[in-house]
Amino acid sequence: MTEMLNDVFGQDTRTKAQQLIARYPQSRSALLPMLHLVQSVEGFVSQDGIRFCAEQLELTTAEVSAVATFYTMYKRKPCGEHLVSVCTNTLCAALGGDAIYARLKEELGSDGKPLGHEQTSEDGKVTLEHAECLAACDLGPVLQVNYEYFDNQDPDTASDLVAKLRAGERPAPTRGAPLTDFKQAELQLAGFFEGRDLDVAGPSAAKETLRGNTVAQDRGWSAPVMPDGVLPPVPEKKK
Amino acid sequence: MTLAADKNTDIVVPDGHVKLTIDGAEVVAPKGELLIRTAERLGTVIPRFCDHPLLEPAGACRQCLVEVEMGGRPMPKPQASCTLTVADGMVVKTQLTSPVADKAQAGVMELLLINHPLDCPICDKGGECPLQNQALKHGRTDSRFTETKRTFPKPIAVSSQVLLDRERCVLCQRCTRFSEQIAGDPFIELLERGSQQQIGTAQDQPFQSYFSGNTIQICPVGALTSAAYRFRSRPFDLVSTPSVCEHCAGGCATRTDWRRGKITRRLAAEDPQVNEEWICDKGRFAFTYTTEPDRLLRPRVRDAKTGELRDASWTEALRVAAEGLTKAKEAGGVGVLPGGRLTVEDAYAYSKFARVALGTNDIDYRNRPSSAEELAFLGSTVSGTNPEHGVTYGDIEKAPAVLLIALEPEEEAPGVFLRLRKGNRKHGNRVFHMGQWTTPAVVKTNGTLIPCLPGEEADMLGRLPSEVDELLRRPDAVILLGERAAEITGLFSTARELAAQTGAKLAWIPRRAGELAAIEAGALPTMLPGGRPVTDSVARAEVELAWGLETGTLPTAEGRDLAGILGAVANGRLAGLVIGSVDVHDLPNPELAERALDSGVFVVSLDLRESSVTRRADVVLPVAAISEKAGTYINWEGRRRPFPVVITGTNRLPDCRVLDTLAVEMDADLFTQTPAAAMADLGRLGHHTGNRIPAPSVDAGRPNRPGQRHAVLATWHQLIDHGSMQDGEPHLAGTARPAVARLSVDTAKAFGVADAALITVGTDRGSVTLLAEFADLPEGVVWLPSNSTPATVRTSLGAGHGALVTVTTAANGAAS
Repeated sequence: MTEMLNDVFGQDTRTKAQQLIARYPQSRSALLPMLHLVQSVEGFVSQDGIRFCAEQLELTTAEVSAVATFYTMYKRKPCGEHLVSVCTNTLCAALGGDAIYARLKEELGSDGKPLGHEQTSEDGKVTLEHAECLAACDLGPVLQVNYEYFDNQDPDTASDLVAKLRAGERPAPTRGAPLTDFKQAELQLAGFFEGRDLDVAGPSAAKETLRGNTVAQDRGWSAPVMPDGVLPPVPEKKK
Repeated sequence: MTLAADKNTDIVVPDGHVKLTIDGAEVVAPKGELLIRTAERLGTVIPRFCDHPLLEPAGACRQCLVEVEMGGRPMPKPQASCTLTVADGMVVKTQLTSPVADKAQAGVMELLLINHPLDCPICDKGGECPLQNQALKHGRTDSRFTETKRTFPKPIAVSSQVLLDRERCVLCQRCTRFSEQIAGDPFIELLERGSQQQIGTAQDQPFQSYFSGNTIQICPVGALTSAAYRFRSRPFDLVSTPSVCEHCAGGCATRTDWRRGKITRRLAAEDPQVNEEWICDKGRFAFTYTTEPDRLLRPRVRDAKTGELRDASWTEALRVAAEGLTKAKEAGGVGVLPGGRLTVEDAYAYSKFARVALGTNDIDYRNRPSSAEELAFLGSTVSGTNPEHGVTYGDIEKAPAVLLIALEPEEEAPGVFLRLRKGNRKHGNRVFHMGQWTTPAVVKTNGTLIPCLPGEEADMLGRLPSEVDELLRRPDAVILLGERAAEITGLFSTARELAAQTGAKLAWIPRRAGELAAIEAGALPTMLPGGRPVTDSVARAEVELAWGLETGTLPTAEGRDLAGILGAVANGRLAGLVIGSVDVHDLPNPELAERALDSGVFVVSLDLRESSVTRRADVVLPVAAISEKAGTYINWEGRRRPFPVVITGTNRLPDCRVLDTLAVEMDADLFTQTPAAAMADLGRLGHHTGNRIPAPSVDAGRPNRPGQRHAVLATWHQLIDHGSMQDGEPHLAGTARPAVARLSVDTAKAFGVADAALITVGTDRGSVTLLAEFADLPEGVVWLPSNSTPATVRTSLGAGHGALVTVTTAANGAAS
């Protein structure tokens, strides 16, 4: 007879899924966190995971697949213990991101073959990806481990970091919460902190990011005050 | 034109309308109208791919860009006219007057073609392709793109019926929007992103929708193609003939494309009042049954010496048939079973043949479970149904509430299902399904299940939830009855009462295309054409006058119904049978039917293909298939659906012509030589204004109750099943819903089959073994598809909706 997907996703995950659904007026809105929840169990979005989401949200598996394949944060192959994302967008790339990525590819590869995008090192410790802008251009080149920032990197520091990760260490990120692993980070992305709420409570902005603000405060600069409820004049019609 | 002179005069803008300017001309448009539509009314065609009037706007393809100015301010970029609604004072310039819009459109076209394979010469769509047409009209002569195109493996089968060529796709999302909005089967979606973005299905769920073929038709490029039609022909080599679907009682308008005497494909035609622009896959793909190898091409006669059927000339076959029938008529009488798939013209010929040539009222077209109560209902309520007074598709869409009883719309009347869904989506209709489990149709019409035991439906009408009763009292509420209502004692009577009490309109939606026509033609034992009661002397006199008969010629007593005819044959009281396209396995009691046919009775069979009846017949007369004759169906609304001959010159004869000639051999004139003549003859009878058959008044029956040893059977047909009119189309068969037996977890436990994968549902006649699936059926009820397995409910179980059955674990591991 019809079997439910009890094997992979236990009662705990089901309960969490129901909690996610309860957060939204429409159940399908819970799909994004639900996919993170699935990743927190299996380390990727499997076909079972897609069916689980579809079942929980009364969607078709095609609808879930559409979302899961659109967003790059949903991985379709099993990830390692940690996910290392190297920013290779223009600024980071120019500042050395490309070099970092090339070095890590080589070092994480095996049998003389460099590791590819979204591939996992043979020891299962690290999955490597090149990422689009990680929103820390002032700290470039940056990389992230499980979405926690490691700022101002160069090939050597990155190589050192990855070596430590493979050795089982969890070096502290430059800012933000202490390092856990990919599945734990996914659980947090799904909105479950499991007693680690304080990890994300503190300020995570770097001083570089706030430098402009600091300068303005020092010198007493401020934006001109806009009167309430008055819209700027309509520009004249172009001829 | 006075357009320029009018420009300064005040155009009156009616309430709810706005005034805008398109290409310098002032236009009044209803508020909320899409710009692309307003331009269209003005005669300006803006190129487009994703826009479809029956789908919600998407703005996906960006081909319809125009320049727009609002309140004197130009919008900063060209706007998609398929998503922008008109506004007062809007100034729009299309490609006709704006170089900006023209260039924007040319740019989009160039981008859409960058990865397109430009394989028009081998593409099914070539010749009728919006992309090809618009590229030739608005596009560049040469591509500036010299790099390597993105390629995909192709084609991929998104179902056994629909093939996808992703390279040709322009990602307009018409197919995904159709599936999600219209059909409610979002099994295809936009997958991946960026240059890899593509249409696709989930790995575990193919595009199995009863309406999937529509996506092929609305695909504006050659990305979605039909497995059955792929590479068969070029559209410009085909002859297109308007036609009407012969499968269900919906009467959908179709277009049949053919060449060299062969149908290559069938498409949905546009009929806003009936099927809009959609048809189901059965209507689209199930036409190959007429070219199966067992098609009858020549008359056959049973050889007196060998006892075997042999080919014969028409002259000989008609002579033998006429002699045999004349003898049988004298030896006790002849019964007529025309079947439920005839046109009005053909059904009328059977009806007149029975009365004039055979002098009998022993005629019943109902080749399915039926009842005397139903007969009274058909005479009192269904005959004379027409769209002016009865329920229409439009009524279903606009009704505040629709109650469906013993009707599974998606399986039995797909067009009705689409309207129910549209009504719920557009107007917030409440849809109540009185049935046994939450079927996909209940979910997709956003409906509410009113669960009851099979057979308990009539009784349940007296105990409707107060909310339903209240909603049915609203103006324009609708009650719909299905085919299996005939298996539920008292349902027709109580439904009529409910309609009278609440003021809701009542309609009956049978499953076969010919039912309403046969009722109108009088192919029933109690009714002459037009619903005239056979026992009414005034009605008989009317018919006798029109038919040129002497007064008192027509038989005065009600005839035998299907069961009566077969029973009388079996015990020798009837000596002959004239049978149209009837399959004994559809009959409520196939065993009785076979016994009757084997009893030595003289049988004349008019059929398309070899069947259990033709094999037992004394004379077999081949008849024309739907595409080889003209005719008129009457759909469930009572709407006449005339259609012309599709394939001309086949020399195949419609039933009405065969019966006409047979009657001449028997010294009677039917005047049904051609469908047109038959229709004219029927027309001479005029409308019946006299007495009608009295309405049924039968108390709600007591349903069988499940017990410790027996469960109660619920059953109906799935749309795509083992019906003989779906033969020869394996691609269509591949999209059938899996045949499973459904029951609740508790029922499974009670019968000790909770752990069994396969269960056997049985009667003393036989059994059906199927995979079991849990569903929310009432306790003690098991559901089976009527005809989706080699062992069928009618033939193998000899049972029907509401019968008592046993449920056991399958003895061996094989499904039957």
